[in-house]
Amino acid sequence: MSQVFTIAGAELRLMLRSRLAIVGVATLLLLSAIAAVTSATQMAAAAKMRAEAQIATDQQFKSQPDRHPHRMVHYGTYALRPVGPLAAFDPGVDAFTGTVVFLEGHRQNSATFGAARESSDLVRFGQLTPAFVLQTLAPLLLVFLGFASVARERERGSLRALAAHGATAWAILSGKALALCAAAALAMAPAFAALGWAAIQQPAEAGIALLTALSYSGYLLIWVLVITAVSALAASAQGALVTLIAIWAVVVVLVPRAAAAWAGVAEPLPSRVDTEFAIAADLRRIGDSHNPNDPHFAEFKAKLLQKYGVGKVEDLPFNYRGVLAQEGERLTSQLFKDYAARAGAIQLAQSDRLTALGLISPALAVRRASMVGAATDLRTHLAFLETAEAYRYNMVQKLNALQATAVSGADDSARSKDPIAERRTRISADFWKEVPDFRFDAPTASRRAAGMIPSLAVLALWIALALALMMIASRRLERNGA
Amino acid sequence: MTHPVLSIDQLVVERGGRRIVDGLSLTLEAGEIYALLGGNGAGKSTTLFAILGFLERSGGTLTVGGQDPAGQLDAVRAQIAYLPENVALYDHLTARENVDYLLKVADCPRSRADVEAAFGSVGLAANAWDMRAGRFSKGMRQKTAIALAMLRDTPLLLLDEPTSGLDPAAAADFHKLLETLAARGVAVLMVTHDLLGAADTADRIGLIAGGRIASEWFAQPGEPRFDLNALHSGFARVR
Repeated sequence: MSQVFTIAGAELRLMLRSRLAIVGVATLLLLSAIAAVTSATQMAAAAKMRAEAQIATDQQFKSQPDRHPHRMVHYGTYALRPVGPLAAFDPGVDAFTGTVVFLEGHRQNSATFGAARESSDLVRFGQLTPAFVLQTLAPLLLVFLGFASVARERERGSLRALAAHGATAWAILSGKALALCAAAALAMAPAFAALGWAAIQQPAEAGIALLTALSYSGYLLIWVLVITAVSALAASAQGALVTLIAIWAVVVVLVPRAAAAWAGVAEPLPSRVDTEFAIAADLRRIGDSHNPNDPHFAEFKAKLLQKYGVGKVEDLPFNYRGVLAQEGERLTSQLFKDYAARAGAIQLAQSDRLTALGLISPALAVRRASMVGAATDLRTHLAFLETAEAYRYNMVQKLNALQATAVSGADDSARSKDPIAERRTRISADFWKEVPDFRFDAPTASRRAAGMIPSLAVLALWIALALALMMIASRRLERNGA
Repeated sequence: MTHPVLSIDQLVVERGGRRIVDGLSLTLEAGEIYALLGGNGAGKSTTLFAILGFLERSGGTLTVGGQDPAGQLDAVRAQIAYLPENVALYDHLTARENVDYLLKVADCPRSRADVEAAFGSVGLAANAWDMRAGRFSKGMRQKTAIALAMLRDTPLLLLDEPTSGLDPAAAADFHKLLETLAARGVAVLMVTHDLLGAADTADRIGLIAGGRIASEWFAQPGEPRFDLNALHSGFARVR
């Protein structure tokens, strides 16, 4: 074991005396620190802004004057997705999915205000976050630091000298890998400090922060092992560099993008325009509640009159318009829900395909683990949309119910012609205060931890494979006289 | 029972399906300097690699201090100091750091005073001790490597073309160092093309041809120690 530490120490000394290595590590350290600070600042600002905006929008709704309830249905309110507990570390899909939904009657609006839509194209390339630095840039730095670790010794003949001094091939490879691990740990320090800070701020997140740190440590360990093994197996340092750059490009750049494209082809998601046309067509099929001759609503009206034993809607013990609005909302909401469920199922199927592809790219596995831990994954976003839709439906139906019970049918019919009747249709502003505030709770830490397990298992599998590659390299080194 | 420092009997080593060493036998006692001469590809370096356990043998026996590299590689390597043709020092480390590092790898750390004494005895100038090896001449590298070998205090020293690239004065210094080591009881097996150097230093000279020792000469008392004409003609025959 002491041989391993001795060899690791010498390798670290080489890095410390290499201007290239120092510049590389310092650059990554700087990027990592900048990413941690800027991301934490941005997400803290976003969290504050969204929390304040949610309070403000709830307040605005509640502070509306006496009004006709249906005007409140159209006045609507906003649901803002709260910032995930570890979103500063990994904003995940936050930038792409939108964060604000306008909630109103008759319509289910899409989420808006995604950073990628609002900002320059650079956001699409990848935000400078601790997660991006660790997933994409850190492996590249490790490649540059470690590609020659063993190949250089072979080219210079010092590998044989080491072996002649009793160093086993496994000790040489382990020492080189250990030194690279130390460099990786240094480069990861600011990002891990950001995780630690998040855990201190929210102690309930400590377990998730630890699992996230474990995921990234495992991910970078895979890189360290592969880099060391390739350096030992390659015929030359140059060959090792070319091979490792190719592996990086495939694993980190190509596979995630190709996988996303493949998931999109395998599980095609209809475009928003197509969906909106389809919803509009279905809405027309359901019928028009404002059209007295619409077959569905004519039947609905007939059943209602029959149930209450009256001949016309004016004789019903409630405001028919309110009940009609409730029925219309019920039907359209069911339609929206069905479409949303279908789109969500497709998106989740795409996401599941990406998870399965984690088997061929550990970058996909660590990305998923990171987003699930930070509650910034697609599943959490879909849960937010579902919560927002449920809130919208309940709010609208509550207002429709108020129209049915607190507004007289006669006044409601006459309000467009009779200002006095119109004034009577305005109900007390106190009713708005009964509408609960919007609230979305991210999945609990234990649920997120459970969600991270498949990705952690994939990473563990990759570590085992990388160790096997190290063993093959060690045997080959031993067989070829180091 | 004491074993010879190196005992090789009917050694066979194959590389790429070709027999490079084919029935080589050689015994080396403590304090003896043996020069192994031969043409390019005759199997000189291959023999060293087999002793070091870098290559597996396909026949014969080989022991270092009675231990077989095939089964006791660590124990065998602990008894050998090896100087390749191009001494592989770490350019980013100083002479002192190089020696400290490799001694630590070999698990035989030495004090600072011991290291400086070894540097002094091999004639490495004091201003080079803390100089990075990247700035060393070949002679300085050789001296550092010999100092390392002395500090390891191994019974067997293997040298692969140690004087190639050295100027005559440096080569002469080097041969003196070998004599010093041999006087301490170190057995030296030196693979070389340098016939005159070998004749100056070695106790025995073996000529390798066809993968085995084809001729062997023993040093005689007085000067010249070897019949140089016989050596020249023997060497010319196998080249």
